[in-house]
Order: sequence, then C-alpha cells, then structure tokens
Amino acid sequence: MIEIHELKIMTSEYNQYFLISEDVRKIVKESKIRNGMVTVETRHTTTGICVNEGLECLESDIDEFLKRIIPEDHPYAHCHMLRDYGSTGGNPTGHLKSMITGNHCHFPLINGELITGSAQDIYFCEFDGPSQRTISVIIQGE
Amino acid sequence: MAIDIHVHPAFFAPINEDQEKEQRRHDELNLHKNGTAPLEHFFHKMDCAGIDMAVLLPEDYSSSMNGEVLVSNEEIRKLVDMAPERFIGFASVDPHDPKAAEKLEYAFTKLDLKGLKLHPSKQDFHPSDEYMNDIYDVCMKYNRPIIFHCGLSFEKGATTKNCHPLDFEQLAEERSDLRFSLAHFGWPWCREVAMLMLKYPNVYTDTGALYFDSAREFYEQMLTRDVPMTWIDRSLRHQVMFGTDDPRFEMIRMSAAIERLGFRESTLKLIKEGNAIDFLGYDPRGEDK
Repeated sequence: MIEIHELKIMTSEYNQYFLISEDVRKIVKESKIRNGMVTVETRHTTTGICVNEGLECLESDIDEFLKRIIPEDHPYAHCHMLRDYGSTGGNPTGHLKSMITGNHCHFPLINGELITGSAQDIYFCEFDGPSQRTISVIIQGE
Repeated sequence: MAIDIHVHPAFFAPINEDQEKEQRRHDELNLHKNGTAPLEHFFHKMDCAGIDMAVLLPEDYSSSMNGEVLVSNEEIRKLVDMAPERFIGFASVDPHDPKAAEKLEYAFTKLDLKGLKLHPSKQDFHPSDEYMNDIYDVCMKYNRPIIFHCGLSFEKGATTKNCHPLDFEQLAEERSDLRFSLAHFGWPWCREVAMLMLKYPNVYTDTGALYFDSAREFYEQMLTRDVPMTWIDRSLRHQVMFGTDDPRFEMIRMSAAIERLGFRESTLKLIKEGNAIDFLGYDPRGEDK
C-alpha cells in the first residue's frame, strides 16, 4: 500500500530553512499505514530536504557553509536565457546547494510511529526563494 | 523607497482564474513553466529585492487577438486596488483600435492609471505613424508618460521592427513635453538610447534587460562597458530607471547587481527612485507633483 501526501510551503527569503518534522509526524499519524517506510521528498531542484539537529546555531552554520562553498559570484554555466522558459536561468547556486543537501530522506514507520534519533529533525531548505513549494510525504507499507 | 518601473503582472493569481486565458498569456508572452503567483509571493520577492513599489504593465494586442485583451486595464486597476501602497498601474491600448484614444482617456480618468505601455513591434505600429498622434495627445493632456518596448523582444511574433531607438528620434524631436521611456535600455542598442537621452531630456530608459550571463555580469557589460558607467553617472543620471521586466528576469539578483556596479550613491538613488518619480510626474507616496 502506498499513500502520497503533500506539504505546501510559501517561502519568503532567498535562502531559508524550515523544520517540518512535526508536519510529517502529523501526516503519518493520520495515515492508515502503520508499518513501513516514510519518504519525504521535495518536488523542486533548487530546494533540499536534509536531516539534522534542529538548532538555530546549526542552521546558521549550514547556511554559512553552503554559501562559502557555493558563492553567488562565480562564473557558473547556468546563467543564460532558457528558450524553453523564455526567461533567464540564473539560479545555479540553488541547484548546487540542493545537490549538497539532497532532495529526500527516509525513516522507518513502526506501529504508526516515525522512528527517528532523538536529535534528528527534518529540514526543508529553500535555496532560490521566495517561492511556493511542494513536498511529497510518501508512506509505503501496510 | 525603491521603484521597479517595469513589471508584467500577467501571471498574478488574482487575474488568472481562467486557465485557458492563462495559457494564452504564456503563449503570447513566450513565458513558460512559471505558473501563477499569489500577491503574497510577489511581495516577498519585492521585499527580498528591496523594492517598495512596482509599476504594473498590461498588454492590449486585441486587433491581432480577435478582440481579446491579453491583460486589461481593468485587471491592472483591480490589482492596484488590492495593494495601492505597492502598485502603480499603467494602461495599454491597441493603436489599431479606432477607439484607442477614447479608451486611453477612460483609463486615465476613470481607472486612474498613471501611464501608457506600448509595444511597437507586437502592436505593429511605428512611433511616428500619423494615427499615433491622438494617443500622444491624450498622454500629454493628462501629463502621463509612455513606456515603449525597445530593442529585443522575446514575445511571440515580436521582431525588432519599429523597436530600434532611432525609430523614436522623431517623436523625441517633435514632442519635447512628452516623457517616454525606451525600455530595456534598447538592448542591444544601448549606445543609441544613450545618444537620444543625451540630446532629449524627455527620453528615459530602464534597466530591464538580462539576456546573457548572470545579473552582475550582464549589468557590468551593459551599464559599465556598452555604456560607460561615467556616461550614466555624469550625464544620464536623471534618465535611467531601475526596471526588471519581471517575471522574465530576476528582480532580486538584478537589484543586488546594480547596487554593486559602483555608481555614486546619489546616482543609485536616482536610478532606483527619483527618476521614476520624475518620469511618472507625481510622487506615488503622496500625490504632490
């Protein structure tokens, strides 16, 4: 059995971090599936899903680290008119940061409960905001 | 305060309840995969870019679209009414509509729109065509400026015909009291736009161009090399307005890029604020001009 749920987020900053653990747990709690796997996956290529400790200081370090290794000013190739869009693609840093964080995470589901470590939280990361974003919460099992 | 003089709201959610119409907007404007934007999202974008107010531009291509107006003056009025502290509305009329001047007068007097947007290629007219005079007369009667598309256009069916800066020289010469902007710095004919602005103080331009590279790289090319920065900083500083052509280009990165080019702070303030106020002919923060 599989269920696919959606989380919608309207971001307001260029780079922004959201803790979504409780949103995911709420969806899992309401699911008919009690045992299996939960996948949380962003539907975008300039956002990320990552698992880390939900601390403000760590958010700051993650953000600073990503900005340091993927600076805005760099001669990226992905800076040009995209004819299929009719607009300029100028968000290479978003794509690259997304690649670093990854776009999904998995957790086991046992007796209706999401099994996580005590320090593990799920982050949704905006790397090319502001924007309207959708996250899939996929529950597989029985 | 900062003003973006060149925003197309064709995909704002409050005026996109009809999916077929939205698709025609994608097709005609040649803008795809961008979806529609709630106003809240657009305001977030403005905030990130440090933009306080945006000039919203409609598109009336009705004579080539079986009478349908792509983005109407009434829709612009609706959007302005939803956020009068953030939006300034312009009008559009199709010059081939026999009632164009009458409709424009209505847009200025009844809808209180603050200027006119025209696209000489898409709307198939030359700026010096005789029949344009009625439209220009209405603009001058109500002290409303015109934004002309100038230079390259990515819109469907729009070549650069009638959009070279030299196509506007006669108008600048004959109507010195008519303020008009040659949008997109007339790219790639930026020097020709600079030439016209040097001679004619009623000619303005905007920075709504990002056709190659990143915003920083393109602005460095266009605003410091194609047109040397000193030309703008010393001679044209009262005629260049910040504009983005949103959603085709990148408001946030363009706003950040222009700040870093090295203009004098006072020039930057003119580009981002003062010149738009002069061009509009009133101060949108308090109608005192």
